[in-house]
Amino acid sequence: MKGLLPLFLGLFGTFAFSWIGLTVIPNMQIGALNPQMDEEGTDIYPMPKSGMAERGQRIYAANGCIYCHSQQVRPDYVSADLDRTRDAGSSPRPKWAGRRSAPRDYIFDRPVQLGQERMGPDLADIAKAAPTEEESPAAAPAGNAPAASPAAPQSPAPRANVAATTAGGAPSPPTTLPAPQATAANPSSTPSRNGIPPAYSAAWHHRHLYSPRSMSPDNVDSTMPAYKFLYEKHQISGEPSADALQLTGPDAPPPGWEIVPSYDAKCLVTYLMSLDQSHPLKEVKSAGGVAPAPAASPAATPAGSPPPAPAKK
Amino acid sequence: MNDQPHNPSSLTRQGMDYGETADVHEVHAAIQREKREPRVGLEPLSIWLIAVYGLAIFTGGAYLGRYSGNFSGDGLDPLMGPPPSKKTAGGPAGGEQQAELSPRDRGKKIFSANCQTCHQANGQGVPGQYPPLAGSEFTTGGSRRPAMIVMKGLQGPVKVKGQQYGSAVMQPWDKTLIDQKIADVLTYERSEWGNQASPVTADQIGTLRKELASHPESYTEPDILAVPADAELPGGGSAGGVQPPKPGEAAKSAPPKPGG
Amino acid sequence: MTPATGIPLKEPTISAAASDAEQLERARIDASTRVPVLMFYASAMVWLLVGTVLAGFVSFKLHAPDWMADVSFLTWGRLRPVHMNIMVYGWASMAAMGTAIWLMARLCRTTLRRPLLIVTGIWFWNIGVLIGVIAILMGYSTGYQWLEFPPYAALVLFVAYALIMSWAVLMFRFRRGNQIYITQWYLLGAFLWFPWLYAATQAMLFVAPVQGVLQAAVGWWYGNNLLFLWFGAIALGTAYYMIPKVIGRPVYSYHLAAIGFWTYALFSSWTGMQRLVDGPFPAWMITASIAATILTIIPVATVGLNHHMTMQGYFPVMRYSPTLRFTVFGAMSYTVFSVVGILISLRSTARYVHFTEATIAYSHMGLYAFFTMIIFGSMYYIVPRLVGREWRYATLIKLHFWASAYGVGLMSLMLLAGGFVQGSSEQSPSMPFIESAASVLPYLRGRTLAALLLTISHFIFAFHFGLMLFGLGRTSTVPTFLNPVEAEGSEAHL
Repeated sequence: MKGLLPLFLGLFGTFAFSWIGLTVIPNMQIGALNPQMDEEGTDIYPMPKSGMAERGQRIYAANGCIYCHSQQVRPDYVSADLDRTRDAGSSPRPKWAGRRSAPRDYIFDRPVQLGQERMGPDLADIAKAAPTEEESPAAAPAGNAPAASPAAPQSPAPRANVAATTAGGAPSPPTTLPAPQATAANPSSTPSRNGIPPAYSAAWHHRHLYSPRSMSPDNVDSTMPAYKFLYEKHQISGEPSADALQLTGPDAPPPGWEIVPSYDAKCLVTYLMSLDQSHPLKEVKSAGGVAPAPAASPAATPAGSPPPAPAKK
Repeated sequence: MNDQPHNPSSLTRQGMDYGETADVHEVHAAIQREKREPRVGLEPLSIWLIAVYGLAIFTGGAYLGRYSGNFSGDGLDPLMGPPPSKKTAGGPAGGEQQAELSPRDRGKKIFSANCQTCHQANGQGVPGQYPPLAGSEFTTGGSRRPAMIVMKGLQGPVKVKGQQYGSAVMQPWDKTLIDQKIADVLTYERSEWGNQASPVTADQIGTLRKELASHPESYTEPDILAVPADAELPGGGSAGGVQPPKPGEAAKSAPPKPGG
Repeated sequence: MTPATGIPLKEPTISAAASDAEQLERARIDASTRVPVLMFYASAMVWLLVGTVLAGFVSFKLHAPDWMADVSFLTWGRLRPVHMNIMVYGWASMAAMGTAIWLMARLCRTTLRRPLLIVTGIWFWNIGVLIGVIAILMGYSTGYQWLEFPPYAALVLFVAYALIMSWAVLMFRFRRGNQIYITQWYLLGAFLWFPWLYAATQAMLFVAPVQGVLQAAVGWWYGNNLLFLWFGAIALGTAYYMIPKVIGRPVYSYHLAAIGFWTYALFSSWTGMQRLVDGPFPAWMITASIAATILTIIPVATVGLNHHMTMQGYFPVMRYSPTLRFTVFGAMSYTVFSVVGILISLRSTARYVHFTEATIAYSHMGLYAFFTMIIFGSMYYIVPRLVGREWRYATLIKLHFWASAYGVGLMSLMLLAGGFVQGSSEQSPSMPFIESAASVLPYLRGRTLAALLLTISHFIFAFHFGLMLFGLGRTSTVPTFLNPVEAEGSEAHL
């Protein structure tokens, strides 16, 4: 080949062609999306994460969670993502998602954690799998819990998952619940069975991060690494801390000691409890045709990290 | 074997002497035995290869044409074009969702988005700050009082269920929410948390809106108390055109007749 | 007296030995590139060893997660990106640059005038990789795959690259001779594409970040383009030099080479989005990448045919020449890797392998079976010319080759099979997810075995290279053949 100029132009041209085609043009198409709002400008979805959830997002990225967990739900015509239920909890287990993911779901994510592999389940809607908060301490199978007792709402949040700076942390009104659900607010609240907190509650996430294979019988085959370094062990002074993890068996600390989450762990779990793509989007049809009742819209929660979704069909 | 990697004599094999070279380098045996630098032949393209090219281009092009969802930014599904065009500004999907939800469900949505921050998801409010709605006499009584409060807002001290509240101001919602939405959220509040009161329709709110059109200020407790506790909005379940008092004139107006 | 080899040749080699002036010129060029290239290789070897050990850890911890799990900088989620980045930026990039500098110098027939600048660049590059690695281990990974180095480490890499490649481009500018050989197209392309690619990606992710899912699109545009336009281009350029050089025959067809080059640049650069198939993206982007992957059959067929016809009749030389053996293995792997890539990218099969280890198999086939094997071949060719010794032990070279070949072959098979098994089982919602994830575990154990083979291979090579570096190679005029050459007869300089 003769001539440096044609060579250089060719090199530049082929590169620019792919750069424009795969990054610039899509940027023009979906690079400036706004969140969806209804006519009054309320019910905004999605909202940017803030506070502990935002920090948790960075911790998620820094610890490489993305290498095993995806955060995108595939449509029903290529996958079983929309039919699949979660592995933990008592039946009927929550579904993975109500609809496929759309670009609008991620507009405020930095870094966006779509994920490439699934050695672990998809987490796009993991917060929706959390049990709704119920004040009834007894694990009543009937599920028709009474109106929320005034005991908990204004508690200064021993919850490890919501920045308790506003009153936005109160539990939602009771709805028909399919399974016994003790309150997920407190990591040391009444566990449901085997000493394991209710599935996908904040306390469950903490225990799962601390010792993934202790979530028997659901996850004994899990190959998730343990994130013990996100937790601290110290002596119990006086009362056990409200944050202390409920651990049993070989993981349990010796008597007089407790394991508490570090700030990083709390942020991470706050982030996990904010991952909710169940809000319907106009451009995506929801599985089953009818829009599921949306999660408590973050629009009205100044703290920025919404409480777990209250309603399930 | 012989090992003469550094054989200076090779440099002078053909009569070169050291003075003619800029520097003396060891010419390794590896270099000595090297073949010449690569060059290119000029064989022509095979016709079979061109056939392969054609097949690849056809397959790739067909694939691109088939699975590209109209090349639109909305086309997430490779087999279809963009979602059906929207009929109204609100979007048919939203409209369909509206149609399939009951007023109570819609009201719950609105409540979550707008009211929950203060009145809490369980309707209990915050002591001293936000009055509760669950079991509140204002919410569960006649529909006029709560409708007025939602439309125009409330400020100043107020006593609900025997407790004093008042450090917070409730904003008017008549500009932010349309009639249907105010009606739905009232319906929801009046049937949730153990409340059992009649639903409210959009027409009732519409009528009320016209009545209150010239009253821009928000209400205070006396204004609300001036309205009988069981006053219902006209239309809907009860009749009775009761003139709402102007704000601040509660003391002057006589208690209106109870709605029938 | 050189022994004849009895190797069946199509025709007797003519003027196989270069003239003296040419020899002297080459000697001077080699002397000028000696320090930079050896430093590149030495740095790359260290990173290769570290990265391979980490690869073993990463592979093992995936099916035995409790091993060494309690320390923050040994957690799997941090070791995996460290392994990947060390291999990509530490081993592969440095070895690539070493080979590329030597090739450019030889082909441009210019000496490398300021080796100190390149040496400085090498140090900066090493420092940049080290900073990035430490940052990831301490918990500052950016979260973007293949780009986990924080921006400050990337900046150091940029500075290093400027120091290194400006001289390479200058050598090209002042080349002698009026023909630009095929290898030079590929190398020049790689030298220019890499900084454009890296700069554009850093800009779109960190300086003026794109919104939402586009970050993933930019990330995978970068990943695949790095694989093809940086590593693949250097590997193909190297193969185009080594194969005709070792056997002393011209490349079969200029037209094939030209078509192969331009279609390679055009189509390979459009791949990448298929890694996001069925994700929250406009479908056309994904399909465009899949179509481009289908179209890469054009450069694959072209380059493959070119090499095959060049080699025709000379395949037996692979029995003797380490360079040729590694290079041809790599060139053939290019074909296999591309075909596998096409097959797993099509939407109908992607639904079964998406989110599985099959994509890891694809990446490793490209980066190892294709790129690394060709670079190994080039190192076997170049190092004797720089140190003035021959490789000491033919056995070690053979062990290196077979351990690498079997290692990468086993790994690819295990991961592809495991990926299909996991992906298919994930398609049935009645099977709990944990079971579909557990179905891949036996294959992961097989992969750890492959990692063991690769570790052995690399330590052998590193030891052998170390011998060369410290002047302990064989002093001989005869190269190290892989198998003894028997018959007497015509000269055949290998």
